[in-house]
Amino acid sequence: MSDQAQAPASALWRGPWTIETLARNGEVLHRHRVAALPIRMGRAYDNDFIVDDDYAAAHHAVVEAGEDGKLRLRDLGSRNGIVHRGRRIKDALAIDGDTVVRMGHTSLRIRGASHQVAPELVDRTMHGWEGMLPGGAGIVLAVLAALLVAWLTDASNDLERYAQFPAAAAGIGLVWSGLWAFGNRLFGRRARLGRHLFIYGCALAALVGVRLLASVLAYAWSLEWLTAYASHAAVATVAVAVYFHLATVTPQYRRRLRLACGALAVLASVLILGGNMQRHGRTADELYMPVLLPPELRASPDVPVADYMKQVEAMKREIDEERGGTP
Amino acid sequence: MKRAVLAFLLTCIAFGAALEATSPPAAAQPQARNMTQPAPNATQGTAGVGAAAAVGAPQMPVDTAPAATPNAPLPGESETQDALPEPSSGAQDLYESARGDLLQIRMLLKNGRTQSTVGSGFLVGTSNLALTNYHVVSQMALDPAIYTAEYIDTDGNTGPVELMAVDVLHDLAVVRINRNGSGFFKVPEQAVRLRQGQRLYSLGNPLDLGFAISEGAYNGVLTRSFYDRLIFSGPINSGMSGGPSVTASGTVAGINVSRRRDGESVSFLVPVKYAQELLRKVAEQPAPPGDFNPLIGKQLLAHQAGMVDKLLEEPLTLKGMGQYLVPVRESGEVRCWGRSNARGAVYSVDAMSCVMQSAVFVSDVQQTGNVAMTHQYIRSGTMDPMRFATLASDNFQVNNLGSTGDPRLTKPFCTERFVHTRSLPMRAVTCVRAYRKFEGLYNFTLLTASTDASQSSLQSRLDVSGVSYENGLRVTRAYLGAFGRSGRR
Repeated sequence: MSDQAQAPASALWRGPWTIETLARNGEVLHRHRVAALPIRMGRAYDNDFIVDDDYAAAHHAVVEAGEDGKLRLRDLGSRNGIVHRGRRIKDALAIDGDTVVRMGHTSLRIRGASHQVAPELVDRTMHGWEGMLPGGAGIVLAVLAALLVAWLTDASNDLERYAQFPAAAAGIGLVWSGLWAFGNRLFGRRARLGRHLFIYGCALAALVGVRLLASVLAYAWSLEWLTAYASHAAVATVAVAVYFHLATVTPQYRRRLRLACGALAVLASVLILGGNMQRHGRTADELYMPVLLPPELRASPDVPVADYMKQVEAMKREIDEERGGTP
Repeated sequence: MKRAVLAFLLTCIAFGAALEATSPPAAAQPQARNMTQPAPNATQGTAGVGAAAAVGAPQMPVDTAPAATPNAPLPGESETQDALPEPSSGAQDLYESARGDLLQIRMLLKNGRTQSTVGSGFLVGTSNLALTNYHVVSQMALDPAIYTAEYIDTDGNTGPVELMAVDVLHDLAVVRINRNGSGFFKVPEQAVRLRQGQRLYSLGNPLDLGFAISEGAYNGVLTRSFYDRLIFSGPINSGMSGGPSVTASGTVAGINVSRRRDGESVSFLVPVKYAQELLRKVAEQPAPPGDFNPLIGKQLLAHQAGMVDKLLEEPLTLKGMGQYLVPVRESGEVRCWGRSNARGAVYSVDAMSCVMQSAVFVSDVQQTGNVAMTHQYIRSGTMDPMRFATLASDNFQVNNLGSTGDPRLTKPFCTERFVHTRSLPMRAVTCVRAYRKFEGLYNFTLLTASTDASQSSLQSRLDVSGVSYENGLRVTRAYLGAFGRSGRR
């Protein structure tokens, strides 16, 4: 909080004063410095602070030193008045450095020279990791991931696919990152295309990696649920990627972004589970694990046919229940 | 936006899969045989090929060759495509005396009384009982609340039809109508002795166009089917189902039932002996059963018991595929077809599929009592193990285990495990679905894949439909336990 609250008298009321015009999201659009009180505000040119707003009066308001040591904002009989927290103030309002008022379409606040600012943030941004270098790395990662997919799924020695897959990955990456960069330019003043490309490349590689890892682990140790619910790992990967994109755009709200991305991921997972349930009557993505890998990757022991048949036998109860359940 | 990445990945994978187009030999998609039942949507006539051609009628995947070899005539099922001679004066006389007892049987939707399917039938002797095919009246038997039936005779008189008895396995039904026959169609007490080449006359109402008689020859008993069928070398079209095939004297030799779609005038009759049995049953029963579903379920249970016993009466034959030994059954009822599919120099697929020709028609969307087994041997000398693994995994993915929205069956329940037989480690997946209408009947599907080699994969599929759980287990156990390695590479 500001220190004016504890100010004993007008001794601390020293200028110069800074009037800040704010955007809706609280960002400062414009600052104007005034040397001394009172500050007259309005559209007319004889004001100390000229409000460029068609909805403001020529002489709209004045800021004066109040008797209690606070500043007072007084309406000069304008038509649209002054609004504070959604309410029009009747006559005058005691304000401090964090009071935001609206006159016409303009939001502003007034801070004295002694206003205490928040401590500086720890800078975790790697400033060297911007531009061409991460952008190039991202594209390379995406292309490598696409090449791996192209090679794994190549069953016909078709050379064309080794051009198509990377081209598609790079093209989609440029469009995706371009959109993020556009948002970044809009809200964060810099495009940071390279950073976004890098995030995209990592995400694509992670998606492929997670899928492969799930398959290998599931096959090696008979963990069929790993591939049956692999789509949730993909959702989590995408959520993490989106978080990094968002954090690149607005680094100051990391905690909130983390929560939002987490919530979105949970929502997507629930939708997938619900969709599977509706379409196939089960929550898993697949009926059984179709993954077959080289025998060297198998770690768990196999069971004899007789054991397996017991398992099949045990399934009867479940099926009969289902049959009886919904006639 | 997340979706975009997901979508992209999926596209990549799908794209890759599409490029491969591995075309695994489909699990024995047998070529359809035309149940001589008419199509309600009447785009008939034109769609056909040749004289005997019909029509989008309900099909029955029995009796058949795999899709790859559509026109290979089986030995003994040679084509009789020569134009038939003009109906003789004998046929004219016969039709004149038979027409009074010939019926068309129509299934009607109770609401609105529009016809859904039509077939033929005939009055037995001087009684008020008429014989027809089960598949002509199946809708009424399964859903009596929705369907009803009426008959029309050659003079255009109509009347209600009451279902008395059904024999699903031989595709026969007995109905009662409100008038008696003239006694022309004689269903003899003893089996009829027929000589190959003997002239037979088939009567009915083909394609709902009007009553007709067609002339052909008796050509022996079909040995490939699970239940006896007579081969009739004459045209039988949709709508003639349930009509009689008689000798010149009016003795019924069989009941029209089906024809081969890929043949010319290769048609099938239900031998009259089964009709005799069914008529005897009708004579004994005090009243027709109110609900035919339990009865049909019982008949299907009897069918599967016989079928599985026959299938497992001796140990399964082992055949070599590469280094593997695979179980098959080759007998009169089970036909196997092989196919090789070399994919350039990269990999090759050898496939073998066997089908037991024992499917039973339950309704036009449900056939059961069938056994099909498929083996695919995929190998590559040049592919990297991981790449080959991707190919094998792709191929092991079976999507046609049925939808969950199917009201006739429960959703599939699957059990998967890595198992080892005496000499072969394998991955086994068993999926089972239960019939909702028929208690105690299940469809079993077993999928297996060998896990012993990095550049070859043996993938097999066994489908047993309409069996009891015990018999499903029996077949699965026998089949799964038979896999092995031959030692030969």
